[in-house]
Amino acid sequence: MQIDWLTVAAQVVNFLVLVWLLQRFLYRPITSAMARREERIETRLSEAKAARDKVEAEASRLREQQQALEASREEMLSEARQEADALRARLEDDIREEMEAKRSQWQAHLEDEREAFAARLRQRAGHQVIDIVGRVLEDYAGSDLAGQVAGTFADRLAALDADEREKLSAAASRAKGPARVESSVALKPAVRGQVTRAIHECIAQDIEVEYGEDDELLLGIRLTIGEQTVEWSAARFLHRLETTLDEVIQGSGRRPGGAPAAA
Amino acid sequence: MDMSPDSWILYEWQGWRLNATIVFTWAVMALLVLGSWAVTTRLSEGETVSRWQVLLEVVVSTIRDQIEEVGTDDPGRYLPFIGTLFLFIATANLLAVVPVYEPPTGSLSTTAALAICVLIAVPLFSIGERGLGSYLRTYLQPTPLMLPFNLVGEFSRTIALAVRLYGNVMSGTVIVGILISVAPFFFPVVMQLLGLLTGLIQAYIFAILAMVYIGSASRSRRASESPAASQQSTETGE
Repeated sequence: MQIDWLTVAAQVVNFLVLVWLLQRFLYRPITSAMARREERIETRLSEAKAARDKVEAEASRLREQQQALEASREEMLSEARQEADALRARLEDDIREEMEAKRSQWQAHLEDEREAFAARLRQRAGHQVIDIVGRVLEDYAGSDLAGQVAGTFADRLAALDADEREKLSAAASRAKGPARVESSVALKPAVRGQVTRAIHECIAQDIEVEYGEDDELLLGIRLTIGEQTVEWSAARFLHRLETTLDEVIQGSGRRPGGAPAAA
Repeated sequence: MDMSPDSWILYEWQGWRLNATIVFTWAVMALLVLGSWAVTTRLSEGETVSRWQVLLEVVVSTIRDQIEEVGTDDPGRYLPFIGTLFLFIATANLLAVVPVYEPPTGSLSTTAALAICVLIAVPLFSIGERGLGSYLRTYLQPTPLMLPFNLVGEFSRTIALAVRLYGNVMSGTVIVGILISVAPFFFPVVMQLLGLLTGLIQAYIFAILAMVYIGSASRSRRASESPAASQQSTETGE
């Protein structure tokens, strides 16, 4: 177990050569490669960090923008809501007024219709009544109704009080034209003579009398001398009847369900 | 029983004898250099790295870390010397599983050569770092009376390093030889496996001890510069 010094020297040389070779082929390339890789990783990391910072800044900017948008949107929405409410209220008012106007118009129209209908009804009913009464009188009294009416009219003239007669006479003396007798139907000559006689006897002897017809009288006779008028007609009776009826109807309308007013 | 590869003469020419120690050392050197060259000619600096490059990077960075742990500031400065010590001894010991091969570390000549290298490297590194005068003054500290002891300590350290490596590697070979003559096949195999482990440990210990010696030399300088720093022990037992 001896030391061979030649071998020792050779091994020292071998070792030093190995150190140099390994430094040349192993340590330097490996360490420099590692250093370069680390440097590159460092660079990439710093780049990535910078990029992340930038992206985060961008994200926060976008977030703020979005919040601002959100706020302005809310504001606009509330404004629009207020406007819509105001518009709706205005439209409702308009429609209400329009409806009110239409209703009153409709009511007026209805009133007109009612009045026209009542007038028509009155006229027709009057005619009908006169017709019926005339026919009944004709059938049962043996004379036409107009003749009876004229007779009655002549009696009425004779029964006028002095005051009335005076007024009529004064009117006849002032009047330039003839006295006008109107009846609902044409009078027969005999009846006309009877009426003319009654006028001459009761009012004025020399007054001229002309005859005419007026549907509105229904049944009866109207004598007009100047501005004075004497009328005995079913229309008047009917008018009076209508007035009474209206009063009764309105009285019962005012007291619905109540006892009717005393006739 | 002489098992030193020194006495195995492979070639002789005009009185120059080429023994197995030298030849196997060359083989180990060739393996290391060719292996390193094959890998480092195709070094990659990108993301994809070959597994052999990863192996070498791990080995190199581990050696650097170990050197740093011993307490030096600049591991790159000592990496070639310490790293080569470790790689050479480890490779020489691990190749013991190859038939016919005799580990060159089993020769006292090789271990002595490595120890001498360490013996010379310690003052060289120290002088390179602090200058000749400063280095020489450490032998006179703490008092000039300590000069002989310092010198003896320096040489005994070198001899201990050489004998420790030689003894451990040689013992494995001797034990295997004895067991082959005494017991059948099983025990030599186990001892051979154990030899691989102890071979690797010896490589580690040798390299670390060398680093500790070098490091302690530079630390004693730092300690003298800053008195508060504690003086660390330079002796590390097995």
